[in-house]
Amino acid sequence: MTTSHNDSTVSLLGAGHVARGRIGGVPFAPEICLAAIGLSAMWFMPGDLSFLTRIVTSALFVLSLDLVLGYAGIVTLGHAALFGVGAYAAGAYAIHVTAEPLSGLLVGGLCGGLVALATGAVLLRTHGLTCLMMTIAIAQILLEVLNKWRSVTGGDDGLSGIIVEPIFGVIEFDFFGRVGFLYSLAVLVLCFWLMRRLVSSPFGLTCIGIREDRRRMTALGASVYKHSLAMYVAGGLFAGIAGALMAQTTQVVGLGSLGFTWSAEALVMLVLGGMGHLWGAIFGTILFMVVHHFASAIDPFKWMFVIGALLVAVVLLFPDGLVQAIRKQAVRWAARRSNRRRHD
Amino acid sequence: MKSATRKALFSAAALFFSTSVVGAEVVKVGVIGPFSGPFAGAFGTPFRQGVEAYVAMHGNKAGGAEIQFIYRDLAGPDPQKARSLAQELVVKDKVQYLAGVVFTPNAMAIAPLSQSAKVPMVIFNASTSVVVSKSDYFVRTSNTLPQVTVPVAKYALDHDIKSAITIVSDYGPGIDAEKAFSKTFEQGGGKIVDSIRMPLSTTDFGPFLQKIRAAKPESLFAFLPFGPPTYGFVKAYNDNALEQAGIKFLGTAETQESDLQALGDGAIGLETAYFYSGAHDSPENKAFVETLKKLDPKAIANPATVSAFDGTHVIYKMVEATGGEVDGDKAIEAIKGLSWESPRGPVTIDAKTRDIIQNVYMRRVEKDSDGKLVNREFKVYEAQPDYGLTLGE
Amino acid sequence: MELLLSILIDGLAYGMILFIISVGLSITMGLMRVVNLAHGVFAMLGGFLMVAVGSRFGLRPEMAAMLAVIAVGALALPLEKLIFRRVYGRSELQQVLLTIGLVFIGIAAVGTVFGNSLLAIPLPEYLKRSVDIGFRVIPMHRLAVVTAGLAVLVGLWFLFTKTRFGINIRASVDKAAAAEALGIDTSKVYRLGFMLGAALAALGGILGAELLPLEPYYPLKYLVLVLAIVAVGGMGSVFGSFMAALVLGTVETAAKYLMPEIASIMFYLTMLVVLSWRPHGLFGRQL
Repeated sequence: MTTSHNDSTVSLLGAGHVARGRIGGVPFAPEICLAAIGLSAMWFMPGDLSFLTRIVTSALFVLSLDLVLGYAGIVTLGHAALFGVGAYAAGAYAIHVTAEPLSGLLVGGLCGGLVALATGAVLLRTHGLTCLMMTIAIAQILLEVLNKWRSVTGGDDGLSGIIVEPIFGVIEFDFFGRVGFLYSLAVLVLCFWLMRRLVSSPFGLTCIGIREDRRRMTALGASVYKHSLAMYVAGGLFAGIAGALMAQTTQVVGLGSLGFTWSAEALVMLVLGGMGHLWGAIFGTILFMVVHHFASAIDPFKWMFVIGALLVAVVLLFPDGLVQAIRKQAVRWAARRSNRRRHD
Repeated sequence: MKSATRKALFSAAALFFSTSVVGAEVVKVGVIGPFSGPFAGAFGTPFRQGVEAYVAMHGNKAGGAEIQFIYRDLAGPDPQKARSLAQELVVKDKVQYLAGVVFTPNAMAIAPLSQSAKVPMVIFNASTSVVVSKSDYFVRTSNTLPQVTVPVAKYALDHDIKSAITIVSDYGPGIDAEKAFSKTFEQGGGKIVDSIRMPLSTTDFGPFLQKIRAAKPESLFAFLPFGPPTYGFVKAYNDNALEQAGIKFLGTAETQESDLQALGDGAIGLETAYFYSGAHDSPENKAFVETLKKLDPKAIANPATVSAFDGTHVIYKMVEATGGEVDGDKAIEAIKGLSWESPRGPVTIDAKTRDIIQNVYMRRVEKDSDGKLVNREFKVYEAQPDYGLTLGE
Repeated sequence: MELLLSILIDGLAYGMILFIISVGLSITMGLMRVVNLAHGVFAMLGGFLMVAVGSRFGLRPEMAAMLAVIAVGALALPLEKLIFRRVYGRSELQQVLLTIGLVFIGIAAVGTVFGNSLLAIPLPEYLKRSVDIGFRVIPMHRLAVVTAGLAVLVGLWFLFTKTRFGINIRASVDKAAAAEALGIDTSKVYRLGFMLGAALAALGGILGAELLPLEPYYPLKYLVLVLAIVAVGGMGSVFGSFMAALVLGTVETAAKYLMPEIASIMFYLTMLVVLSWRPHGLFGRQL
């Protein structure tokens, strides 16, 4: 592990090392790692594929939130609106136009991005609590509008009967969920790669700079508003793809996919893992959903208690998220071990 | 080392043999419901109690097989999770039957799975008419909205009530109920003065009730989801003195037992139509309530409890018919047209629609001798089918 | 004309309840600049403690209510010392997360102790009637709420303008460093301000229980409502909360009378419009 090399870049940019994409000099290493994690999960838990697929679509959603929150610094409790819009768009597209899945994903992403553009233009002129409130208000309004539009969305009953044609016309979705899972995993890995490219590009680095120190970046001539908006739209695009993926793999979309609870859960998942370096989103999602899966068998109030206590602990003890805390600890152990070796 | 491996092999073999032997004789049923969250009290807990009451009264065997219930929590309308849970239950836990489900979107999400895997599902609540038609393997033991709404409209007409305002929460079931009431009422010569749809998130119902008071209809028909909205609405009805103004309250599930005590004395006199009252006077119901209380002294006999109880009866019948073997088609054929005496009254599973045909009672809220509020039945509309189909939605 | 009067009367009553619940949050947020999403927990605790204490000791509702309000205020003290103090000055996000965590813990605690169903608050007899004013009827408890709301408004005005404590609070809000330099113990001021905010929330929870029924998920359900009032009114401004509550309450009420299907959209739309026009709220200050 090229830890020392990574540390210096961490201190400079906070996320550069992820963007480099090379671990030990292997290209696409993060993507291969991600794919490996997914495939081994499938190997070890073949009966839980629908649960694993849900983790994958959620992870993509939380990654999109990381772009908005971790890289553009916009605190939002309404991100689920973009997810939901993408889901309904893809669902309606599959029912009324064609059930071809790949174009469905694009439709979902496009709608998510467009709504993000329209709402972001208004939203990003504000800051702080006001901005937060507006994200909530916009999400609620979109929810009501989609609820009313029963002919397209099915309203309260949800949009059901979404069919998915075979991918590339050949690979059919099987009953056990294998194809669904692999399809979702492939989309996740591809989007992860795209996001990595995005955050390590000059555009991405500028956004990180804005997040770190707004005034300095403005002094350097960067347009805060334009960059934030562009990153917000990117976040909306990927959220829309995540929503479309969910619609296709579960074949149903409900109003809860736009809800405040879903936005809040995604925020919690992101924070648990740590924001601003993409991997945090993935680990946070896995951690949260696995614990929730097992804890829901027990008393639900106990589950809320655990999550609440976890959040309080993370904020008070690990403000950078668990991934960073673990990494710091790993660095400390590695340093201690190399020191010991030197003294032997 | 050797003895350890031998032990391991032996226990593995024992496990293999035991599961394969038990496999043919254990029938698993997956029950999906809100065992946590805001709907646990009105649905989740009653589901469980209803199932356990049936098992307590009839044992856990049928058709030569032992029946095991697996409970999975689904706290609210979440179609994605519903499908996921159903898939896990079928693929991983290998259940032969599914049961439960409170919300329509959840039932709709499970339908394609039930259909393609031929897994019968007994619906314990989701009451939108169209649900049961989404899979050939769906059976319902609760009710449909039109089924309980049409009698209430007829009751109003029988009592010379000529005008009404419908006021419902703006969501699927509310709109279903509004349409069913309006059609029946107008067909009988009544006049619908106004149709109000309230946003689901409404907390202050005062303005709506004032609006109704000003319009002076002879009655209002309401439909709201359980919990805070119903509570708030009934309170507002009383606070704004609509009864004194001569506007009769017509409803269906608003006074159901899980919320009734919380409504307090303000609910006394409210008349509703529904398929089950905890105070139903029959030997079957007495035995049912007694069993419930024995299992849990705090248990309340709720429509959801009896739906789960009867649903379990249907499952047992299906297991008997198939002898514990996996055969969805045989199971469904067996229960088509099935009739029996439930704690709620006589019921039949419609052979064509697989929906439940049952009595619907007009009840009035009264205080009984213990000082508790009960729904006292005073009129029966017998053998009501699901009107959703005949009303042509 | 009658319609307009009805809208105003109902809007006023609804708005007053929103005001009483939210004003405590506006004070704490303006004072300590902490985004406290757990405010609803204090409101909920007010109601639950009132019922628990009242039934345990057989107290009259008024007595139980007063005790509950005081108890919640007292409870806020250790919370402030142990937890909230640690996040003053930290990023918004951190505060949001911490307080959401506290909300979850609060919901879990109340849910485990009281169970999942609705809690009915006992009303004293004299509040159960309704007053007939000719063209409509007004429930007594609504009038009581309006009176209470006005009393709170006047009381707070008096507190902030005429008492030493009030002046200390305003000084600490305006410029904490300068206040310290002048010898004001700002941490004591924060503590007392927080307790006041919590007590007001408890009062709001009790008085508003007819409208916003008490149940374990209360803090989460009405979180957005309360935050909206504070954001639109401007943090730290009591009068701002008052105006925001009235405006939003009346708009939603009017929509219920005139266009019921879009009543809740109107609420959020109004919020968006006001915040776009005045991002710091109606009476908020540039921070």
